[in-house]
Amino acid sequence: MGLLALGTALEWPDAKQKAGQVREWGIEQLLANWRKARGKERDALLWGDEVEYLVVALDDAAKKSRLSLAQAEILKSLAREEALWKSGSGDNKKHSDHDGEEPPHFHPEFGRFMLEATPGQPWGIGFKDLLKVESNMKWRREVAKAHMAPNEVPITLTTFPRLGTKDDYIQPYYPPSGPALRSQFVPDEIANPHIRFPTLAANIRSRRGRKVELNVPVFHDTNTPRPFKDPTVNYDLHNWPEDDDVRNGAAKDDHVYMDAMAFGMGSCCLQITFQAKNMTEGRRLYDQLSPLGPILLALTAATPIYKGFLVDTDVRWNQIGNAVDDRTREELGEAVSTCESRFSDSRTNISQPLKNDRWRIPKSRYASNSTYISQDPRLRKEYFDPDLVVDESIKKRLMDGGMDDLLATHFAHLFIRDPLVIFSEDLEELDLNKSDHFENLQSTNWQHMRFKPPPPDKDDIGWRVEFRSMEIQITDFENAAFSIFIVLITRAILSFDLNFYIPIQRTTENMETAHARDAVNDRRFWFRKDPFASIVPRSAQQSTNGSTLSSGTSSAVNTPPPSPPLGPVETEFDLMTIDDIVNGCADGSFPGLIPLVESYLNSVNVDVETRCFLASYLDLIRKRANGTLWTGARWMREFVAKHPSYKQDSVVSEEITYDLVKAVEEMTIKEGKNGSVGWELLRGRK
Amino acid sequence: MKLILSSSNIMQGRQSVIRHPLQKSNVELINSLRSNFLASQQIQAGQINGDKVPSWTQQGEDGLYIPAIDFSQPGLAEERDQYDITVKLFYLPGIPASRRCAHTREAIDLVLKELHVKSIDLLIVSFPGILFDADDDSEEEDNATEDDFDSMVQTWRVLEMLHEQGMIAQLGVAEFGCDRLARFLPHTQVKPSVDQINLKDCCVVPKSLILYAKQEKIQLLTHNDCHDILPVGTTRELLGPAEKSAGILASSPDANDGIQGDVEPQWVVKYTAVVKDRGVVENKGYFALADIGTCVKQ
Repeated sequence: MGLLALGTALEWPDAKQKAGQVREWGIEQLLANWRKARGKERDALLWGDEVEYLVVALDDAAKKSRLSLAQAEILKSLAREEALWKSGSGDNKKHSDHDGEEPPHFHPEFGRFMLEATPGQPWGIGFKDLLKVESNMKWRREVAKAHMAPNEVPITLTTFPRLGTKDDYIQPYYPPSGPALRSQFVPDEIANPHIRFPTLAANIRSRRGRKVELNVPVFHDTNTPRPFKDPTVNYDLHNWPEDDDVRNGAAKDDHVYMDAMAFGMGSCCLQITFQAKNMTEGRRLYDQLSPLGPILLALTAATPIYKGFLVDTDVRWNQIGNAVDDRTREELGEAVSTCESRFSDSRTNISQPLKNDRWRIPKSRYASNSTYISQDPRLRKEYFDPDLVVDESIKKRLMDGGMDDLLATHFAHLFIRDPLVIFSEDLEELDLNKSDHFENLQSTNWQHMRFKPPPPDKDDIGWRVEFRSMEIQITDFENAAFSIFIVLITRAILSFDLNFYIPIQRTTENMETAHARDAVNDRRFWFRKDPFASIVPRSAQQSTNGSTLSSGTSSAVNTPPPSPPLGPVETEFDLMTIDDIVNGCADGSFPGLIPLVESYLNSVNVDVETRCFLASYLDLIRKRANGTLWTGARWMREFVAKHPSYKQDSVVSEEITYDLVKAVEEMTIKEGKNGSVGWELLRGRK
Repeated sequence: MKLILSSSNIMQGRQSVIRHPLQKSNVELINSLRSNFLASQQIQAGQINGDKVPSWTQQGEDGLYIPAIDFSQPGLAEERDQYDITVKLFYLPGIPASRRCAHTREAIDLVLKELHVKSIDLLIVSFPGILFDADDDSEEEDNATEDDFDSMVQTWRVLEMLHEQGMIAQLGVAEFGCDRLARFLPHTQVKPSVDQINLKDCCVVPKSLILYAKQEKIQLLTHNDCHDILPVGTTRELLGPAEKSAGILASSPDANDGIQGDVEPQWVVKYTAVVKDRGVVENKGYFALADIGTCVKQ
């Protein structure tokens, strides 16, 4: 989450009036910053991971687990300790195992039951740094726990299984249905009370014209009723106009229905940010990592339970997308209202002329990304999204300001959205040395990749790329493994000049595929068959090398010979299993991400100890991909199915949830060793 | 006659770098040489210079370059101090240790010329006949004899000299077990800073070696190069007349389909230039030198 500025947040009708101004100022800030930072060169690889936790309070006597809303108290306590550390009078023995490492940072998140922790300083590519990641993650967990009540634990489940049920799943308890969220399942107190968060939720709802709507297909077990009608939905509430939503059909049969931002933005993710050496490299990584987003989403699947029910999807992604979907009916291409459509004879909603809004928008603000931005000769026009919505006037302004077409298109696409939280104090004067208005749009476009310009006030930070699709894993071993895997993939991409381009619509499709139950084993994903460039003869090779490696500034020595004509785009990619993509195709067509990473590691000097650690991480990912090890989602499904009190009716009761949380807590410590809980997803044998 | 084989930069556009788990680990060397030959043949296709050697090769003062190398091309994209340059030199089995002095100079010179640099950061030498066995803590079961040990010490003198001249910043050995290191160190003035070991499962390094290396401040690094990286048969096949081969050597020493005579690979050198604070491998390649004909029997 970005800066938490304070001020007077505008309610939607007022914010809407100012949206154009914020966009315009945001674009001017972007241009000023881009001009200043586009020549930044030779920034080192620095990277950081973000781990998010749920804070769960355990009541062992009653065998109940509840989300604890103690975020503010925990953060305050953490801040006090951080201040002590900084002043040098802290309890140094606590981090004697972490010599030379800065104490971790903790940040608030949307959910008042959430914490985010980042390493105290960014990681480098020094292989010794890679060894510190896991122990640092464990340290973060210990530090966080030390600032909680004795019965509270930080756990890394993506979602709390019983968020939004009828029982007292939060502590302290507040009844649902407040003015900001207007949810019939969760109270406003579930969100961080900082004005930014309730305003964000309220303005999304208000802009949309109704509550957000999450319908997740239920997992039909033998005793699950058919059709399944979500028994927790109350059709008889009359507190808010939005209580009509369910009476107008918001809750669908055979689905678990949820109605608030908290169901999505209350999810924990594992996000990795890399600093590129310059803008060119950043743009290249943005493009090349994009097709990997859905693959890593399926590999990290860990979200099989919502609101006390097993669901038929394995990942959080679309639920968050729906939880922050601020599109109006018109933008969605739905009939504007039942009343109006009675008088219109339009058969297809899509052909209805737009009356109030500027576009029909195919994706939520939180969705897979829709642009490629690298000035790469391998980027074919067929790869672009034909449905991309772009604000042409913003694009023109950016291009008039000197920005190239690709990057201007990217930002003009992000800027089709409205700013959601506007502080009136910020509208008095445009400060081109800040990025607040730019970030207002940039950081509320939650796509699976994010391209981040350097902050204008920090000279030591370069262009960055964020990889955002992964689900948080239960143990720090897994979280470290996936973080480091992605880092190593970026090094392999740059070293081997890999090409993972596929048409961006195939990535969008893959993102949907990744949601399927056990997609990691059962589904196939579009992926590029040959990630290598064709062999360039030596005389031509040197010049192309020079230009790609030295940021496009050096002029080519020789003109490379004309490339052979390209075949149809469709011949470049195929449907592959995750095993094929990660471990390589048996027929040798696609080499596999792990063999690529190992080949990279064989080309650099790695000490024995580090290689051993890395081998254990790569082994985890290899075995997740080939089905030897379970995903977190699979493990949770099996845990519920085998629980003595489970009635094969998809219901995940309070008792099961308590036992699940206890098992998860044990797993974070024992990590499935010696046949302890979770060996199926961590070790593969007892 | 000397043949100088080169792979050029294998990091880009090369499927050959990926080794499938069951393949032998010299496949990277062989594939990258082969694909560089093919690429060079294609670009020069149709040109015949009437000589005995194809036009895509080049007769230099020091030997026949296969393929021809244009050393005027820039080596690295950025300044020298941005890189860590590691070179691994494989002395091949059956080649008299007395040649190693000359071989070392030849190999290093080629790498310096190729990368346009004046020095390298780390030179690791791989002596023939040493096998590292991770399972065995005490004994090293290999063919290295007393003579071999003396020749290693002799060779090391040459490396120390190059170190002194500033051409090589750090020296390293490969496959040395604890005992061999302990025996070797007293004979050195410049201690090896690296011992590179090949481990199938790198989590089983003998504890004695870990402790000894730590005590002597020797870094234990991993590699996956194979023991006999360029056998005679492979060399002839690579350079022979068969399809997808270089078409330079005869199919057998006496055959009439190419240059006649015995072929004897002398050394192989692998070089890697890694951008230090970004971990990007920018340039990696191989040179190999083989003798053919009369000089073999000298």
